[in-house]
Amino acid sequence: MDSINKRTSPINSISHTKWKRLKYPDSYISYCLWLSALVFIAFSIEYLNIPLNRLLGMMGRMGEILTNRYYPPDIEYIMDLDYAKSILETIQMAYLGALFGLVATVPLGWFSSFNMTPSRRYVYPIARLVTMSCRAVHEMIWAILFVSILGFGMFSGVLALTFFCAGFAGKLLADEIEAIDMNPVEAIRASGANLFQVMIYGVFPQIRVAFTGIAIYTWDVAFRAATVVGFFGAGGMGWYLKRNVLQIETERVTSILLSILVLVLISEILSALARDRVMRMK
Amino acid sequence: MKSDQLLTKTAINVDDILVKRNRDKVSHSIFFMVIMALVLWSVNVTIIEDTDWERMGSLGEVLASAGRFIGVDFSLIPNLLEPAIETFMISCLGTLLGVIICIPATWFGALNITPFKPITYPIGRFMMTISRSIHEIVWALFFVAVLGLGALPGIFAIGVRSVGFIAKMSAEAIEDIKLGPIEAIRATGANRFQVLLYAILPQVIPQVIGVILFEWEINIRRSAILGLVGAGGLGLVFFRQMNTYNYHGVTTVILAILVIIIFGEIVSHFSRKRMI
Repeated sequence: MDSINKRTSPINSISHTKWKRLKYPDSYISYCLWLSALVFIAFSIEYLNIPLNRLLGMMGRMGEILTNRYYPPDIEYIMDLDYAKSILETIQMAYLGALFGLVATVPLGWFSSFNMTPSRRYVYPIARLVTMSCRAVHEMIWAILFVSILGFGMFSGVLALTFFCAGFAGKLLADEIEAIDMNPVEAIRASGANLFQVMIYGVFPQIRVAFTGIAIYTWDVAFRAATVVGFFGAGGMGWYLKRNVLQIETERVTSILLSILVLVLISEILSALARDRVMRMK
Repeated sequence: MKSDQLLTKTAINVDDILVKRNRDKVSHSIFFMVIMALVLWSVNVTIIEDTDWERMGSLGEVLASAGRFIGVDFSLIPNLLEPAIETFMISCLGTLLGVIICIPATWFGALNITPFKPITYPIGRFMMTISRSIHEIVWALFFVAVLGLGALPGIFAIGVRSVGFIAKMSAEAIEDIKLGPIEAIRATGANRFQVLLYAILPQVIPQVIGVILFEWEINIRRSAILGLVGAGGLGLVFFRQMNTYNYHGVTTVILAILVIIIFGEIVSHFSRKRMI
């Protein structure tokens, strides 16, 4: 009896501290973090003045609005020749914007990659800042700015998309350049190559496939953005969307949205196929 | 014998390679010529024909009208604090809503855990595609029509818009998991839900958190423009400054947006470092 007690007592003393995933300080830190997140959510709901009671009837109201106002899409409206022309314009705008953006991306990505930049103290931070601010300013804001500077038309849309794509692809390209193997670069540098030659013979062969992938992805994103930059007068189908939204022609809006959806699906399938091909080339 | 075979094989391959290289050269040049033709055609249509060159005037006038934007309107800064906080909160709550909606979308849309493949898998994929392909401005317009003006439609627009990306990346992460832990947990007699919770979730959580933080950064810049269609935040101030032709004020608002985005990037950088 005594021996059994002796044997069980250490086990007992261990087992009445329950197993926990987090030990003493971490468990309290995690608890405080969750608590502060909850407090933040409650505070922001209070601060933003969100009418939570409106949420309850939301689903019913949404269904009602969808079936009553938006339901039979006005397909005839988008079968128009002018509308087809605006779709073509949108595609051209996205194409040019992505292309110019990618051309601008090459120096930007080069200057803003930490391992290949010509000067880490001066060029690198400036290029980083330029890429970041191109990316941070939304494409709609670029579109509004260019419309106010250059006037209505697709040129403003192309420039807005150019800036957007340069910021978007610049970061991806810089990340890609930072991940390259430095040995070939070193070898080419040792043979006495200058900055451009190092870039062309040491870096470019390594990022070629990745750059093609980035280019395809950028085109895809640019097309999605191009469908709406026309909202503020920068050309393309966005203008049709805005006009019909303002005139509360909701059935036409539905059909325009459906056409956007179909086009985006087509572009997504095409870009997936192209990216597959590029990946196989690797 | 073996080396002989190898030699003939390589000899054939060299010929093949030369033929292929020639064919590649021709197809590449055709490809680039097509691209150049498309560029020229698009430039002609979009830039040369569609631009109102008379309104734009000379290069000097364009530079002058761009120069109007240089400068900061300091008197606006105190009025920017509240919309900036609003924008930040809309992006946080919107991302949270997106994460909540994306749980069923991911569950249905990941090929290896979807409950009933012929029906639920297309539903999940459709949710992802529709959320990604419609622009946030259009979502905001729709939710403003349903929910009325204010921050709520903005939150819904951001949430619905961010489902696609988060769910797609998480579904891809789930499709790549190791099967060992699933088998181990199943062997202890766990049901489907418990397998999900204890075998699949711990494997993908770091990746998913990275994706959510990335999407949150994007959502900050998205929520900064939702005010353009009546959903509150900095976009509303931007629109007002633009409409009153206060160009210095426009620049100030853009700078404020940059400041919040930099703040968000710093926060997400540190939380990513801590969590992963």
